[in-house]
Amino acid sequence: MQPNRMLPNRSRTSVLVFLLPPLLLYGAAVLFPILQSLFLSFFSWNGISDMEFVGLDNYVRMFVADDIFWRAFLNALLYLAICLVLQLGGALLVASLLTSLHRGRELIKTLYLLPAVISTVAIAFLFVRIYSIDPVGLLNQLLHWMGLGSLERPWLSDVNTVLAAVSAPEGWRFTGLYMLIIYAALIAVPKELEEAAVLDGASRWTLFTKIRFPYIRPVWITTTIMATTYGLRGFDIPYLMTNGGPGQSSELLTTYMYKTAFTSTDFGYASTISVFIVIECLVAVGLILFLLKRKADS
Amino acid sequence: MITQAAPASPPEVVPPRPEVSRRRRKPNLFRTLSRVLIMLIVIVQVYPLAWLFLTSLRTEEDFATGDPFALPGSLTWENYARAFETGDLGRNILNSFVVTMGANVLIVLLGMMAAYAIQVLGFRLSKLVRGLFLIGIIVPVQIALVPLFIDYSAVNLLDTYQSMIIPLAGFSLPMSVYLFCSFYEYIPKETYEAASLDGAGPYRIFGLITLPLSLNTVVTVVLVNSIFIWNDFIFANTFVLSEDLKTIPLGLQNYIGAMGKVDWTATFAAVCVTITPLLLVFLVLNKAMIQGMESGATKG
Repeated sequence: MQPNRMLPNRSRTSVLVFLLPPLLLYGAAVLFPILQSLFLSFFSWNGISDMEFVGLDNYVRMFVADDIFWRAFLNALLYLAICLVLQLGGALLVASLLTSLHRGRELIKTLYLLPAVISTVAIAFLFVRIYSIDPVGLLNQLLHWMGLGSLERPWLSDVNTVLAAVSAPEGWRFTGLYMLIIYAALIAVPKELEEAAVLDGASRWTLFTKIRFPYIRPVWITTTIMATTYGLRGFDIPYLMTNGGPGQSSELLTTYMYKTAFTSTDFGYASTISVFIVIECLVAVGLILFLLKRKADS
Repeated sequence: MITQAAPASPPEVVPPRPEVSRRRRKPNLFRTLSRVLIMLIVIVQVYPLAWLFLTSLRTEEDFATGDPFALPGSLTWENYARAFETGDLGRNILNSFVVTMGANVLIVLLGMMAAYAIQVLGFRLSKLVRGLFLIGIIVPVQIALVPLFIDYSAVNLLDTYQSMIIPLAGFSLPMSVYLFCSFYEYIPKETYEAASLDGAGPYRIFGLITLPLSLNTVVTVVLVNSIFIWNDFIFANTFVLSEDLKTIPLGLQNYIGAMGKVDWTATFAAVCVTITPLLLVFLVLNKAMIQGMESGATKG
């Protein structure tokens, strides 16, 4: 019984001919490496000497003995939170505002999306200069003009601000992408629904919370999942701008894993950290589905 | 992922004019406020890029001493000359082009084949295969770095174009499979039945019916993936060492080191040169690209 078979007379071979090449590439590049990481996480190996089976030692070390790991984990959560606020909050705000605009929507969409086209290396360069204090960068100059001179600082070498400073560019970069998606969902909300609500005297806020948002909820869940999984894999910008420093104050799990693998060549422990990152992503997706779906049902 | 049933190629998004606009209301506070707010946010998005370009035209002294917001006192192309002298920008752009093309060919071709097998041919475990592809959307790319590094050195693939193309294509494949699958759902069964009655087998039907019909989706898949592949940093940085193979992100990163000191105006000139190709494509095709992103996400 095969409900979605469209061709009545296709051979088993033909299925394999079409299915095997994509599965081969996908297996080699994605599936097999995941299993390999899982396997390596039970070994101690520097890439040269013999691999040594250590059982759960790497996991014990990670959870119990490694302060940097926990620091990086908390940093990664904060990084994620900042990205989510900027990306999803910014996206929802701009998309909602955009629907009340009559002209120039296309232009604004294009302009807003521009940063998404630019490589992270270019963005890292750009923001190093925006944050700089000598010569004075855009941010410090702006603060100076607003009379907030006391806030001027070298944003990337101040341990209190560096994490926010490396998170903001990532948020800035992709907010346009999420705005597009949410905007497309918002303009698909049936006009009759909104008009009926307005006739009933609903305020803008009620209109948004009672009509628009419930309607776009499925798209909102998708964008939240996208933004969260992208946020958890964030790497380029912190790696390029500060390499996790000063100290460990902008270290994320991804940068820590990368350094463990390719600077300390501790392949086993690096694999343990990447297994943790994968589980973290799966848990995050599960949580989002659980929380947002449950709310929808109630 | 979580999707609403959406038509395969999204209809032209024409923002319906709200009723209010025709009634010529007196200017209202909310509307004015939201306009100002939108303008502010757009400035935050665009000004840094404009500033990047302006800085690339400044003289070095002007950049080192001046107010960063001021317009450059005099324009100079010298930074561009220095940028081309120090880096191998042409080579970097060519490499990025090769990697982007290679990965896109794989993503499109293999994505169509997998979707054809899953959606059109159908087989018992097709649900399982779909699920396997879902993993690749959620899982972060970093998981593959260490294993691929080890595997590549075992089969001598380190420091090649393939070492970048394989993982870039592999991690983009799931999205492509999903896009093609959701498009193939909308090709009516009768089309295939008619062709089958005429004696066409699965291969001919793929080449003569499915492939030509997929062109719109191909454009979407290519545009969306190209942004990520063209700008990939992490795979290139991990697997490529030789100057000859460096893509744009690596070439740019090299810039600073190669110059001993940080020559910011020349670096910004290099940045401007390297973002131009993709930016041009984006500005020319932005309608198609924007639609691609919208549909890519709502269906992914």
